[in-house]
Amino acid sequence: MRLTIASAAATFTAAILLYPLFEGGTWFWSSLGAVLAVMLAGLVSSRLSLPAWAAPALALAATWVYLTMSFAAEEAWGLVVPTKASVLELGRLLGVGWADIQRFAAPVPNTEGIVLLATGGVALIAILVDLFAARLRRAALAGLPLLALATVPATILPDPISWPAFIIAAFGFVGLLVADGRERIGHWGRAVLVRRTRMAATPAPRVPGRTSAPARPSAAADTSGLRLSGKRIGFAAIALAVLVPALLPAMEPVSFFQFGVGGSGTGGRGNSISIPNPIANLKGQLELPERRVVLTYASNDNQPRYLRIYTLDTFDGQQFGMTKPKGAVANRTDNGPLPEPPGLTGRTDVTNVTTDIEISDEIAELMFLPLPYPPREIQVDGDWRADVDTLMVFSTRDEAAGLDYQVLTSEPEPTRELLESLPFDRDAVDPRFLALPDDLPAEIRALPRRIVGEVSSPYEAAVKLQKWFTEDGGFTYNLRTQGHSNSALADFLLHSRTGYCEQFAASMAVLARLMGIPSRVAIGYTGGSTVGGRWQVGTNDSHSWPELYFDGVGWLPFEPTPSGSLGQGSARAPAYSVPAPETTGDSSTPTPGATSSAGGDEIAPGSQQNPRAVDRESQLLAGGVPATEESAPVIGKVGLGLAGLLLVLLIPAAARLVTRSRRVRALDRQATRSQDEATAVTSRTAATERVPSVTAAWAELDDVLYDYGLARHASETPRALARRLVQQYEFGADAAAALTAIASAVERVLFARDPGRTGPLRKELRTVRQAIAATVPRRRRILAVLLPPSTLRRLRGFGERLLDGFDLLETIRLRRTAAEKGS
Amino acid sequence: MAVTHDVPPQLDELVTVAHRIREAIESVIEGKGDAVRLTLTVLLSEGHLLIEDVPGVGKTMLAKALARSIDCPVRRVQFTPDLLPSDITGVSAYNQQTREFEFKPGPVFANIVVGDEINRASPKTQSALLECMEEHQVTVDGETYRLDAPFMVIATQNPIEMEGTYPLPEAQRDRFTARVAMGYPEPTAELEMLDVHGGASPLDKLEPVATTSEVRALIEAVRGVYVSQPVKKYAIDLVVATRHSPDLRLGASPRSTLQLVRAARAHAALAGRDYVIPDDLQDLAIPVLAHRLLPSVEAQGQRRLPEQVVADLIRRVPVPETRGR
Repeated sequence: MRLTIASAAATFTAAILLYPLFEGGTWFWSSLGAVLAVMLAGLVSSRLSLPAWAAPALALAATWVYLTMSFAAEEAWGLVVPTKASVLELGRLLGVGWADIQRFAAPVPNTEGIVLLATGGVALIAILVDLFAARLRRAALAGLPLLALATVPATILPDPISWPAFIIAAFGFVGLLVADGRERIGHWGRAVLVRRTRMAATPAPRVPGRTSAPARPSAAADTSGLRLSGKRIGFAAIALAVLVPALLPAMEPVSFFQFGVGGSGTGGRGNSISIPNPIANLKGQLELPERRVVLTYASNDNQPRYLRIYTLDTFDGQQFGMTKPKGAVANRTDNGPLPEPPGLTGRTDVTNVTTDIEISDEIAELMFLPLPYPPREIQVDGDWRADVDTLMVFSTRDEAAGLDYQVLTSEPEPTRELLESLPFDRDAVDPRFLALPDDLPAEIRALPRRIVGEVSSPYEAAVKLQKWFTEDGGFTYNLRTQGHSNSALADFLLHSRTGYCEQFAASMAVLARLMGIPSRVAIGYTGGSTVGGRWQVGTNDSHSWPELYFDGVGWLPFEPTPSGSLGQGSARAPAYSVPAPETTGDSSTPTPGATSSAGGDEIAPGSQQNPRAVDRESQLLAGGVPATEESAPVIGKVGLGLAGLLLVLLIPAAARLVTRSRRVRALDRQATRSQDEATAVTSRTAATERVPSVTAAWAELDDVLYDYGLARHASETPRALARRLVQQYEFGADAAAALTAIASAVERVLFARDPGRTGPLRKELRTVRQAIAATVPRRRRILAVLLPPSTLRRLRGFGERLLDGFDLLETIRLRRTAAEKGS
Repeated sequence: MAVTHDVPPQLDELVTVAHRIREAIESVIEGKGDAVRLTLTVLLSEGHLLIEDVPGVGKTMLAKALARSIDCPVRRVQFTPDLLPSDITGVSAYNQQTREFEFKPGPVFANIVVGDEINRASPKTQSALLECMEEHQVTVDGETYRLDAPFMVIATQNPIEMEGTYPLPEAQRDRFTARVAMGYPEPTAELEMLDVHGGASPLDKLEPVATTSEVRALIEAVRGVYVSQPVKKYAIDLVVATRHSPDLRLGASPRSTLQLVRAARAHAALAGRDYVIPDDLQDLAIPVLAHRLLPSVEAQGQRRLPEQVVADLIRRVPVPETRGR
């Protein structure tokens, strides 16, 4: 009975751990219902004394009825009894739920299918726990299914389980163990003889509300001691489990490559797409202290190209987000050419380029391919699919790490004339590329007009916008910028004008949309730097840029972020995006650093050497510089960690030293005083003033003995202790006399009416300590200094007092309950 | 040596006199220093002593030697199965000359009463001693007669397993402050005994070495020995531990706490200390407590004697201490 309830409680508390996997609480109440259904079935089995195998069957049936009632009531007979239709409906929902789980990453929405799956899973665990704990009487084994439940969030989510939830779950399991122990001991209690006199002297405390108490009033064994120990062990274990990891240096794996998929969870490695938070990853990568190579590539025209990974299309007022990509089977890379790039028509020249890309195998959880835009054909191993709208290429199973693939791109090379001839056309694309939140501040809405003035074509507006960001607007590139609060956009555009690629890209995309130009934000890498014939792209090449849509040409990247030494190192503006007259010549291919001198400062274009450039260079490490210092910080970190650990380990030793010096000071005080009053100090008051010094000597002796592993027994008197030590360790006459002196002084201080005269005990103490130290091996002596057990004993004493306090509180609570019941 | 601790002046005489008595007794009984010391302790703590052992190890000799070394009235009662209570307390006899009932004091009217083989008398007779031992008075025919101080009963008995014995009732055992077992003498002591006792009984040569008033003064001095609060607490802890021990069916009574502390005072005084330390209690716990305890069925099954149980308790109960900071 009790075990069934405890099993249900344990399952339910463990199920609480699942909370980070879901949005909303529907699953929670539904699972609670399922656990209750299993518990009811268990209670019925117990009451009817069904055999152990029948109980799970009954519980399964109860779960089935419950699920039918909750999820397929319309199909069921009388809302409860399962019918064929209801079974089919449940099956359908399970399929839907399964598909949903494939699709979503945690936290998943509470769709009906997912809730059904969660409820069913929790119910199964509840049945298992009940089977182990209540039927097979193996409560400890019931921890296994509970552990399985608890590991689900731990394996899926990178974040640790929150500790309050862990404590609740742990208490659930401890409760189950306690219930089991009480059942067991309760049964034993009837058989064990209990002394009559003892019972009379200390009547067993009647705990109110315990139904079994009146049933066996006098035969119950006094298990209070056991119970107390059990409680203490349980409390201590949970406290240690929570506190110790917190005290240890962080045990997270050092993952330098957490970008790509996985910002807020991967939703299981298996086969689901997760929606990452690419922006957060982007900044994280840019701030990495050292550069790591992410990928290398080579193309047949040997030009650097931006490599796009994600395309963010929706803007919520704070930041851009990604619509979940749709990968139809038809768009698998194996099945020939990818979908046509949207908007690209025959009106413009196209350069076909083949690029060979090799991804470093240290990259974790990247399930999107970095590709130049627009990809037409990809030769890659694995199940990779392209999204029709954005041409992002992703996989639900495979990871990009270690891949080597070839991609054919058709890069549009529009002339300015062609671009200028293209009109504003709002209907050419999906409306989400133009959508803006209604609550966008009016100042921002008014901004584009102010910047660009009157323009004839969207292209002219776009070029002016980019120029404003890179030259006229007075923007500064700085990685130390706050993220995306409500007013971040307005702050960046109107006030601070300081940020990095994320702000630049997003702001330009927003302004373009305000102008009526469809826009989106791409996230990926800049072209990187060339090393031995291949282009090398590192973590510091992470980048974000806006893409604007021009009907007839398609999506074109722009570059509002300052480049060069004052901005994003390897960023470059495409040729078509720079106003023609200012550039020195019309190069058909963009050159790196074409707009490099841009920035808020009043510096002539073209002059790359400005005073701040030197600083920037030293800050933004380029190329091979960090490689030489690569390992230094790691060693430093390890060293720092070790030093920290060492310091923590030395705390007991330090505490011991502090205690000893305090006691020695007490002894010294005593010594000087007694010399001052050397002649006559027999009066009672003078004697009692001495007590602290003698007790200090005694306590110190006690600790010294404990440190050396010769602890005094609790029942050993000072005199007996001295006798034992002298005999056992064959002390010399000096040490024996000193020890006897201390013992005798302590004895008199503790027990005599008048302690009499006591000389300074410091010398005696030292003699005794040396004598004791000489009896133990060197290892023990070192240990006594470095890790003194006496300090740990104090700690334990403190812990015991704490626990006693808890017990006292509980006693008070029980008494109060008893009093309330009595009244 | 930083500490010199002399015997306090008020105990000076006590130590000297006690030493004299010990020497006198030990001239009669060789190699039984502990038993002699315990006997003196009981005398000074105004208690009664039970000497238990097999026949022929010198129980009666010890009792007689103590009685002889103090210059005071000593009576000896040989307990036999047909002994009557009035044989101990005394009777009122009709005096034909005065035509009145006259109280004839029994052997308890003495400073030291030696009850030999006390467990050979019937319980009825044994319990006649009860009032005398506890109240230091005798009531016969409604008349109450005070007994002289000091008053000490030294009873000897054979172990209860021996033939022809009645077990001493719990109530009476509780009235004895301590029980001492003589034990067989060491071979050397036995050899010496053969030499000395070969001719005449050394008891005959024993002269009193202390007077009644001296002993009274000693008892008074013992009363002044200081018992600190922690030590009292420790005594109670020890006694309470016997009540909670699963090995014991019957624990020690509050009376035993009182007698334990009283005996500890005498023990301390004999050691020249005017304060009691836990060691005194530890030394006395077995002789003072063990004879009052009844082992539980389990302990009996394991042949655990109450002495062993008490020894265990002494090892387990923590001594009082004021831990330093």
